[in-house]
Amino acid sequence: MTKYKTINPTTLDEALETLNGCNVMPIAGGTDLLVKFYEVYGKSLPKLVVLDGLIPLHEIKTENDRISLGPLVTFSEIENSPELRKAAPQLVQAASVAGSVQIRNRATIGGNIANGSPSGDLIPPLYVLNAELELSSVNGRRSIPIDKFFKGPGITVLEKNELITSISFDKTFENGFFLRLATRKALAISKVSVAANYSMQNGTITNVRIALGAVAPTVIRAPRTEEYLSGKELNDNVLSTAAKLIKEEAKPISDIRSIADYRREMVGVLLKRGLNGIPQSE
Amino acid sequence: MKLDFVLNNKRVSINVKGGLRLIDLLREQLDLVGTKEGCGKGECGACTVLLDGKPVCSCLILASQVRNREVTTIEGLSIEGEMHPAQEAFTETGAVQCGFCSPGLLLSTVALLNENPEPSREQIRRALSGNLCRCTGYEKIFEAVELASRRINGLSVQNDKV
Repeated sequence: MTKYKTINPTTLDEALETLNGCNVMPIAGGTDLLVKFYEVYGKSLPKLVVLDGLIPLHEIKTENDRISLGPLVTFSEIENSPELRKAAPQLVQAASVAGSVQIRNRATIGGNIANGSPSGDLIPPLYVLNAELELSSVNGRRSIPIDKFFKGPGITVLEKNELITSISFDKTFENGFFLRLATRKALAISKVSVAANYSMQNGTITNVRIALGAVAPTVIRAPRTEEYLSGKELNDNVLSTAAKLIKEEAKPISDIRSIADYRREMVGVLLKRGLNGIPQSE
Repeated sequence: MKLDFVLNNKRVSINVKGGLRLIDLLREQLDLVGTKEGCGKGECGACTVLLDGKPVCSCLILASQVRNREVTTIEGLSIEGEMHPAQEAFTETGAVQCGFCSPGLLLSTVALLNENPEPSREQIRRALSGNLCRCTGYEKIFEAVELASRRINGLSVQNDKV
């Protein structure tokens, strides 16, 4: 029998007040935290501040062309949102391939970000959507672009007493994709992932934003490849050059999930597949 | 803490440590041992229960997280001793061998069929991809889901291989 100590706030103020104390830690879906909780914290387990009761943090809100997601919105809710399917296709694609049904029904967008894993599947889509995070604590609120949030694997700028309270971005009216490679289709962590957002006008590609997951200490953008592609007609030559360029921009390591060379090679493959409109096999 | 929730269609109000895992609350305090613990890490799906009708891993949920919500376990699938069509189909096709994964697989199946009464083979595979079975090789399980689907939809099952 496994028992943790919990605190169950029902308002955001109460939650932030609690998080301002010692040896406490917020828990959202728990699908990542509870897996390694004992291994990481041993006998001095922090008290868990259960966020489920904070109803407003579960909402998906739209104001004109801006969408804001509460941090407790689950992967399943993203996957099944007709609005997000149109307004953030790459985010929906990422949410629908991560974990399993059971995990997606509990795992949250806020948890995926706060974990700070370079392989977190929702993060590359949020990079190419230029998402903005709102961080709150008893001392007030601050806003930070997603690409300034991560410092390294598992390391973020989130202070101990802070919560991510919203994730917002402009609806994209452009094209987007998210593709990943993992050991199996379900329940596997990405070895490599590529997300993009771009426009096609008269056969040429513009406004290109590309982000790579699991090939650097944090999710990264691929600025040289973006610049190269911008204004080009998408033909085999252009795609091959772009694939070569993006391999140079990836900085992968070899670890338990894959080796560096394979990851670097696959970044190029996934970019080509994505721009050719080949979907993720599910 | 005092915990109120609905368990298998009955209101439950008990005193419980909020940090207890749901699977421990079910098995150790409420004696509902149909829910199995396999990996304890959300990988195997043996501990699957339905939370407001949706499959979740009960090893990764805390008791306080089901407050005022509805939990269905394998014990809640049959009604007055009548097995759910999915349970019948599982026994008939040979989808149950050692049986350890069956409660979880059945709950995932029931959630799928409630949402999508006529799933394709691909949709079945995807819906059950969070449940591991080490005995059957899955084929019999997929057949069982298809049989249950046909029965639920009132379609003829005379030409089945069963």
